[in-house]
This record gives sequence, C-alpha cells and structure tokens, in this order.
Amino acid sequence: MQFNGLSLEQAPPISAPLRFYLTAPLFAILAGVLTLLSDVSVLQSRYSIDAIVITHAITIGFMSFVMLGSLTQMLPVLAGVKMYRVDFITKISHLFLVFGTLFMLIGLKFEMALFNAIAIILLASGFLAMIIVIFMAIKKVKNFTPTVRGMSVSLVFALFSVLMGFFLLFSYIEPEMALYRNIVANTHSVWAIFGFAGVLIVGVTFQVLPMFYVAPKFKDFYQKRVVLFISFSLILWMITSLFFQTYSVAAKLWIVIFFASFAIVFLQKIKNRKRKISDITLLYYKASTIFLALGSLFWIIDEFYLSEHIVVVSILIGGFILSIMIGMLYKIVPFLIWFHLNAMGYMSIPTMNEMIDKKLAMTQFTLFIASLMGFILSYYFNAYLSIFAMAFIISMVILQYNIITAVLIYKRVKKTKPDFDMSAFA
Amino acid sequence: MSSIKEYLSHDHTRCDELFAKMEDSASKSLSDAKESYEEFAKATERHFQMEERVMFVEFEAKTGMTEGPTAMMRHEHAQMRSLAKQMSEALEAGDKDKFFGLSETLMILMQQHNMKEEQMLYTMAQQHLSAEAPRVVDMMESMIVE
Repeated sequence: MQFNGLSLEQAPPISAPLRFYLTAPLFAILAGVLTLLSDVSVLQSRYSIDAIVITHAITIGFMSFVMLGSLTQMLPVLAGVKMYRVDFITKISHLFLVFGTLFMLIGLKFEMALFNAIAIILLASGFLAMIIVIFMAIKKVKNFTPTVRGMSVSLVFALFSVLMGFFLLFSYIEPEMALYRNIVANTHSVWAIFGFAGVLIVGVTFQVLPMFYVAPKFKDFYQKRVVLFISFSLILWMITSLFFQTYSVAAKLWIVIFFASFAIVFLQKIKNRKRKISDITLLYYKASTIFLALGSLFWIIDEFYLSEHIVVVSILIGGFILSIMIGMLYKIVPFLIWFHLNAMGYMSIPTMNEMIDKKLAMTQFTLFIASLMGFILSYYFNAYLSIFAMAFIISMVILQYNIITAVLIYKRVKKTKPDFDMSAFA
Repeated sequence: MSSIKEYLSHDHTRCDELFAKMEDSASKSLSDAKESYEEFAKATERHFQMEERVMFVEFEAKTGMTEGPTAMMRHEHAQMRSLAKQMSEALEAGDKDKFFGLSETLMILMQQHNMKEEQMLYTMAQQHLSAEAPRVVDMMESMIVE
C-alpha cells in the first residue's frame, strides 16, 4: 500500500505544477497575437500553416502544459502514488517542451527544416520523459479507481498522438512523407483532443465534481464504462478513417454520443449539486459543457457540409477544453499556495478568495467567452477577427496576471517568518 | 453491520452535506448561519474524535505504525480545526468575504483529506482490523465527544 501521497514532504514541490501553469497563458497570448497578425482567409483552412501554428500554440503550449502540470499534482492525491524524481523531471521536461514548442512554431511558420528537427528532439524528450514517468507511477497504483483508469487511458492516447505528431512534423522536413500528412493528421487531432484531453477531463470530473461541489456521484456503470466506450470509438475512428472512409461517420457518431452525453450529465450534476455557491470555476464549468454539447453537435452536422465548418467545430471543442482548464486553474492555484504555506507553518495566510481578484477573474471570463463567440462569428464575417483576437489576448494577459498575483503572494509570505516551527513534522 | 470503511465514508458524506447547508445559509445571512455552522462543526469534531480516539488507536496498536498515515491524518485534522475556528471568528465579526475564503479552503482541504482516507487509510484499516470491525464501529458509534 502506497502512502507517499499522505505525506506532506513527499507531495510534489509547488514549483512542479506552477512551472507549467505559469507558462501556459503565455502560449495562449502568443496564439492570440499570431491570430491578430494572420490573414483571415488563410485561417479559414484547417490545413494552412498559420492555422496549424496557432492551433499548436494552444494545444501544446496551453492545454498539454496545464494537463502535465495537473497530473504531477493529482497523482499523489487521486492515485496515491508519487512520480519518480518529480522535481528534476518536471524541470527538464518543462524546459524541453517550452523550447520544443517555440522551435516547432518557428520551424513551421518559416519553413525551417533545422528548427523542425530540433523541435522533434526537444518535444520528444519532454513529452516522453513525462509520459514514461507518469506511467511508472501509475503502475504502482493499488486502488484502480475510474479516475486512475481515465488517466492511464488518456496517457496512452497522449503517447500515440505525440508519436503521430512527430511523424507529421517530420513530413515538413522530408517532403516525401507529405503524402500521408492529411490522413495521419486526422487521427492525430481527434486522438489528442478527445483521447488525451477529453478522456482525462472525463476521468477527473468523475471524482472532482462530486467532491468540490457536493454534487451527486456519477453512476457506477457510467464511471466504469464510458472511458472504455470512448476509447473504442476513437480506435474505430482511426480504422475507418484510414481504411473505410465512407464508414468513418459511424465512429464519429459514437464519439459524439459519448461526449455529448457527458456534457449533459455534467451539467445535470452541476444543477443538482448540494453546494449552491457559485464561483468563477463553476461558470467556466457550465460554459465548458455548453461548448462541448454544441461542438459535438456541429461536428456531426458538419458531416453533411463536407467539413466546411470544421474550424467552427474546432473553436467550440477548444472552448470546452480551455474553459474547464481555466476554471480549474482558478481553484487549484490559490489552494496549492495556501496548502504549501500552511504546511510550512504559516497560519495567517490570505484566504483563497483573497488571492485572486474576483472582478478581474470575471472580466477575464467575459472577455474569453466573447472572444470565442467572436472567433466563430469572424469565420463568416471576416472583418471583425482582429477585435476578437484582441479580446482573447487581453483575457489571457489577465489570466496570466491573476496567476502571477497569487504566486507573488506565496513568495511574499514565504519571506516572512512562519508562525509555527514545523520542522518537528518533517 | 457496516464496515469501518463504509461507516466512516458515510460520515464524510454527512459532514459534506452539513457543510453545504452551512454555506447556503451563510450566503443568505451570515448572522443566521451560526446554527448551521455549529451543526457542521459538531459533526466534524465528532468525526475527528471517532478516528483519533478510536479507529486510529486500534489501527496503531494492531500495525505498530504510529508515525505513519495516522500521524499525517492527525496533523490534517489540526489544520482543519484551525480553519473551522477562523470561520467561526469570521462569523462573529460578520466578515462574509473572509468566511467564504476560509470555507473554500476548508472544503478543498477536507476533500483531499477524505480521499486519502477513503482510498487508502480506511481500506488498510478494514484489512488489518477486519475481525474487530464490528467492535470498532460500535465504539465509534457510542463514543461521547470530549
């Protein structure tokens, strides 16, 4: 039986998750700036280089960073296991991933093969180190809950999405491979979004929502089976889109049914929660369920329009993932800061609500939602894209500011003398 | 007869519900929330003592682990008691922001704590104390809070 998660001094250092959380908004800001500078007509094609660059600033730079940061924090608490040399591994991986992403974005944008090659090496080292170490930790888990199962399945999809990503990036170095690009990109994108991010979110929500909002638990059958069904549908999607293109709609329908049902169940649980309090995280959660339901619906409808509106579907599904992540950041960052300070013996710490300005968080939320709706609108009415790109940039600058403010409180309090000497507990 | 794990996990749910009720009444009027705060604080204190004075003691005697998980759980109980006390001070002072800031922190701390107990410690206790489980549950049930 593992007890590592019970012990404070063996919990990951606060810098492990914070490192990822602090850089994530920077990449979102970068994505916003790139959108602002891009030609609207180019962005309307999902296969244009500009669209790929912006997408990956968000998916790798923001989403995967938040997920990796959260996994380091969640493994001890949700699974009771500790990552091998967590401090060292996160430090190195984070560095590799930051530079790997930057090299990739520059390499793609300016067609620089050398940059792409360096990006493959850096991203491979960063991602694989994290994935392997997390797998090693999960192998030690004794109590395999649906959440732990969700985490493991999500990591398998992460691994394959990342490997496909390397192949795709390689296709920009070696033009002969470009022939297979679109077909691999199809599975790569769907597995990364629905498999890596989607399954992780579903798995974690099972546990986190009933806990933090005293909401009704998800049904046992649902908890046990939904990840399996989603995985099956994602594999079916790969097979059909590779070999039986005409039937891929069936797999798509499966994926959509499970995610749309999750969105509805999630919203229902929020509605029936016993803890009636409403906060910024809950607003984000609600928004995410709406984005997911609409995104799933549009994805299927788009089938009849030969994927003409796939960019809109991507914005909606992106909205689902970003919303749930930002909502979680607003909760986890202040708590971690309180938790670590308290563990060091500080008693008079600002409360969680005092660490992040509520009004600023609300402004950030409003701008974020407005910008996403604006991006959808801009797909049909090109003239307004720059306004909404600006709104998105400002919302991400505020998010960055909100996280930094909380971290600065941590630094400030840490400089003072603790109220109690906690060395006896160490 | 329920197992140690079922009995204490069920009590966690009860405390969570009292917590939600307390917050709900505090959001309407802070001065009216004192009663529901007391109800929550009493239930939580009883839960802590059932563990500290009965279950942990039995567990430690059986396994010989006094510096292990139970020590950490006792430490977290102390953290939560301190937060609950600060909440009662915020209630007295009529400081709504402070109250909800503290309750938010307590909620997350409590949930992390409960999860560690339910997924690890209770399972372990149930395994080690399976023969004595009915007696341990009886003792917790009839314990008088100090």
